[in-house]
Amino acid sequence: MTIEPLVSEARERLIARAKREGLVSVGYDVMDSLLGPLWIAVGPRGVLAIHYGAKPDPRDLARISRTYGPAVLPDRRSCDRVLTELDQYFAHRRRSFDLDVDLTPLTPFQRRVLAATALVPYGELTTYRQVARRAGNEQASRAAGGAIGSNPIPIVIPCHRVVASDGSLGGYAGGLPAKRRLLALERGEGQVPEGGWPPAHLGR
Amino acid sequence: MTFGELLERFEREIFAYVLRLSGNRVDADDLYQDTFLAAFRSWPPPRAGNERAWLYRIATNKAIDRGRRSRRIVPLADLRLAAPERDGVTLMDLKTAVRALPTGQRAAFVLRKVEGHSYAEVADVLGCSEEAARSRVAEAMKKLKEAVR
Repeated sequence: MTIEPLVSEARERLIARAKREGLVSVGYDVMDSLLGPLWIAVGPRGVLAIHYGAKPDPRDLARISRTYGPAVLPDRRSCDRVLTELDQYFAHRRRSFDLDVDLTPLTPFQRRVLAATALVPYGELTTYRQVARRAGNEQASRAAGGAIGSNPIPIVIPCHRVVASDGSLGGYAGGLPAKRRLLALERGEGQVPEGGWPPAHLGR
Repeated sequence: MTFGELLERFEREIFAYVLRLSGNRVDADDLYQDTFLAAFRSWPPPRAGNERAWLYRIATNKAIDRGRRSRRIVPLADLRLAAPERDGVTLMDLKTAVRALPTGQRAAFVLRKVEGHSYAEVADVLGCSEEAARSRVAEAMKKLKEAVR
């Protein structure tokens, strides 16, 4: 016999009590997905982070606790809706997310870039330059790339739909195989060429 | 550090400790919750890097408070999870003997002899001198030896 089941029961009651006492600002949970474990955090104003891995990214935690303090606790209930929508997305039953996202600690430019990224429709592609243009500064495609590269809420803010201007896949926080997998999920298997797309494919 | 990091890092250890202290899962569950809620309420920890001793101290104080409030004898049905079984001493004997110890001595005994903390750590948790910690453990050992003889 191990104490694990006793601890997890006790933890559930602890979290419920902590919530009643207003001691939880941000809840997090880990989801098993098509792309491996995803660490998800949800605060009072919406989704704060989706991170590839079972453990949080220290940068996410630092950003979250800077805004919301230390009251960050494991809580599946806070994350229920995100988990459901992600499950539906991975099962081809959802093409867009009805979730609020919380980008408060980011700079206005980073937020504009991510807002522009969020507008790229399901299954379509855009380039870093096009996103920079939509964010109000076409010359800033490198900075836009930086903002997209540090997108704290991948998948929901679909930065996997942004590729390099030469048609190559560019980068991805979850790794290029994950980016390829997401694009294949949306565009159909075999629709993601090994070396990316010819530049003409992407429009201007 | 966030509440979640503290919880994930120490909850198993603290649960095991309060289970050993209280000897039953119902009280252990309550003590675990009281300990972490008290930690969250009195955040931040007094010294960074010393969160573990801080939690043990809170847990021990909660167990002592609880012992004062209710002097009822609790079944040590779950001590199996914690107590090392030794030749010639039945588990029942040991359970009964540990159960009979005053909470302070029980905490000192569990911290030192079951969990293997140093006397300095035991003293830190119990808020007493190292000498007092040694004498509590010695007293507990003496009583246990008499009881299972």
